[in-house]
Amino acid sequence: MNRFPVPFTRSYASSLTPTRRCQRTRGHAALCWLLSFPLLLVFAGCNKPNFAWIESLKKKAGPEPIRVGVLHSQTGTMAISETPLRHAEILAIEEINNAGGVLGRQLEPVVKDGHSRQDHFQLRSTDLIKKHDVAVVFGCWTSADRKAVLPIFEQSNKLLFYPLQYEGNESSRNVFYSGSTPNQQILPAIDWFLSKEGGNKKKIFLLGSDYVYPRTANYIVKKYLGTKSMNAAGEIYVPLGHRDFGSVIDQILEAQPDLILSTINGDSNIHFYRNLHERGITASQLPVVATSVGEGELRVLPPEITTGHYAVWSYFQSVESAANQKFVQSYKREFGHDRVLDDPMEAAYAQVYLWKQAVEKAGTTDTDAVRKVLEAGMELDAPGGRGRMDGKTHHMHKRFRLGKIRGDRQFDIVYESADTIAPEPYPEFAFPGWSCDWTRGGMKKGPAVGVIGQ
Amino acid sequence: MFYWIYDIPSPQLAVMITAVFVSFSWVGAVFLRPILRAFLKRRADINDLVGYMLSCFGVFYGLLLGLLAVAAYQNYTSVETVVSKEAATLSALIQDIKSYPEPERQNLIWLLRDYTRYVVKYAWPLQRRGIVPEEGNTRMLAIHERLAEFEPKTKGQEIIHAEALRQFNNYLEARRLRVFSVTTSIPAVMWIVVLVGALMNIALVWLFDMKLVSHMFLGGFLAAFMGLMIFLIASLDNPFRGEISISSQPFEEIHKSLMEE
Repeated sequence: MNRFPVPFTRSYASSLTPTRRCQRTRGHAALCWLLSFPLLLVFAGCNKPNFAWIESLKKKAGPEPIRVGVLHSQTGTMAISETPLRHAEILAIEEINNAGGVLGRQLEPVVKDGHSRQDHFQLRSTDLIKKHDVAVVFGCWTSADRKAVLPIFEQSNKLLFYPLQYEGNESSRNVFYSGSTPNQQILPAIDWFLSKEGGNKKKIFLLGSDYVYPRTANYIVKKYLGTKSMNAAGEIYVPLGHRDFGSVIDQILEAQPDLILSTINGDSNIHFYRNLHERGITASQLPVVATSVGEGELRVLPPEITTGHYAVWSYFQSVESAANQKFVQSYKREFGHDRVLDDPMEAAYAQVYLWKQAVEKAGTTDTDAVRKVLEAGMELDAPGGRGRMDGKTHHMHKRFRLGKIRGDRQFDIVYESADTIAPEPYPEFAFPGWSCDWTRGGMKKGPAVGVIGQ
Repeated sequence: MFYWIYDIPSPQLAVMITAVFVSFSWVGAVFLRPILRAFLKRRADINDLVGYMLSCFGVFYGLLLGLLAVAAYQNYTSVETVVSKEAATLSALIQDIKSYPEPERQNLIWLLRDYTRYVVKYAWPLQRRGIVPEEGNTRMLAIHERLAEFEPKTKGQEIIHAEALRQFNNYLEARRLRVFSVTTSIPAVMWIVVLVGALMNIALVWLFDMKLVSHMFLGGFLAAFMGLMIFLIASLDNPFRGEISISSQPFEEIHKSLMEE
């Protein structure tokens, strides 16, 4: 007994000849397929036809992104300074990606934390190069961290872009320095203060934190003053984090200087300016020109103790240009309207674009090819103005700006160099016999001059 | 292996999976059915036997599919709860931090903005690819460092600081649960059983002795329903992947409010 009605039984199927059965089978199959497609299309179209996913699948199957390393301290004592630099670099990377990437490939930032420790910077650099195979690394802040990772980049022939103003006395084939050297940041300030416009200052007191940057920078300043037959009125170094400036100010007043050149770094600035203010010393009586106080630092310095003093940089947030307006607006839109921008952030942002331009010109991310293009002297329109990479020294031609601190924690730019200033990591008067020209043989070492880091 | 399906919008994916099952059923009906019938030597009671087998098999397979669908849905909702709890704890932490004096308040708000921006812009897309986001740990450590550095100067600050630290620890726990959920999914072995079961189900239908059109009609219906069930389970599986996935909206709202601070 069969449970199914007639059409379902084998008697129906077997009643047909094999040829006829075959023809019917083909006919039915074709009919079913033809009927099914409109139904599928109707179903697929229920939610408005959208084939963007096909594009997204194609995109995924497209070229691999270019991994780029971002290496700054996100934790530890330097985190507060270095985090904004990471933001600036990420902003540049995101902007580049939104504009189509580099060589048709997106940039994939691989962010690592240097933990404010040299050993961590070394470990993370190795990680970025060996494990993540990044094309380039943007990073570091302190000279100690940079010097710690330098051998890793040189051995693996990878490029490091370093955004800070620093003491010079260094040049590496694998590092491109987008910050200022002392001859671009400090020496023009001295020239200005010695001039009539700057008040014909004669006695400059050198005050700094006790580490490589202030000591080397002040060594260069002393040698520079020597070329003008002048001497520093005095020189004092305080440990990083120093708070009690009472006796320091006593020594400064005893020397009767008419200008203090401060290379103090970090929180000590709060205590230095406060002590100065409490002693009744105003900016008009004894101005301080600082090399490490920017808009970021002013955020935690009360305006009543800093207004009227000076700072020297290549970039201030108050620079009036369309490119800077765009940079400031983009940064604030992404990271908050209460954020402030300063020179290291601008350099960090600009160096990503510098590398992008070099890669596009080279047509590859290969280290040697990119270096060759940069050494040919690449120009860049940065928010702070037009700059140019100096192929010989791997440093940027940068503009000098002298800013006077305002009550709103910003700067009035009181002097600006007419053009960019060529970098001199080894000024001849300070490092006789030392030079570098990476387009012709590299470093030429002279006699040791006895400063840290040589 | 089949994670690329999560890049396809749900309606298209449903059609695709259904079409694959129906096509398979029809192709088999056209090309394999004559062979299978020959193998069974055209027994007179073949439809009865296949019917009994199919009923029996269907019960077990239906149970498996049903339980899997429920499990996938429960998993999805529990991860969704974890994310909601995480966002709520973060909001509470932000409220505590707003009471801190300057510049600690501003520094912490900036770090929290940085963190929520990372979660929305980088962590969530990574989670959608089944990758556990790692950089959030460093950002949390940075926030913890700042909190630990703060020294309250008044009794009120002391209370707020203690509460902020408690909320921060709660947040770490909730965040850890979310991160652990990124790779949560139905084990591969279960998917193999489900797919093999579906094929066996369809193959059993091929054994029926009936007209081809009826075969395609009934077999197609069964295959389409199985395809839809598998689509449902696949969509709910991997709670962070695909169109039907847990969104980063709670974090987007927190980030937006932090940006307005």
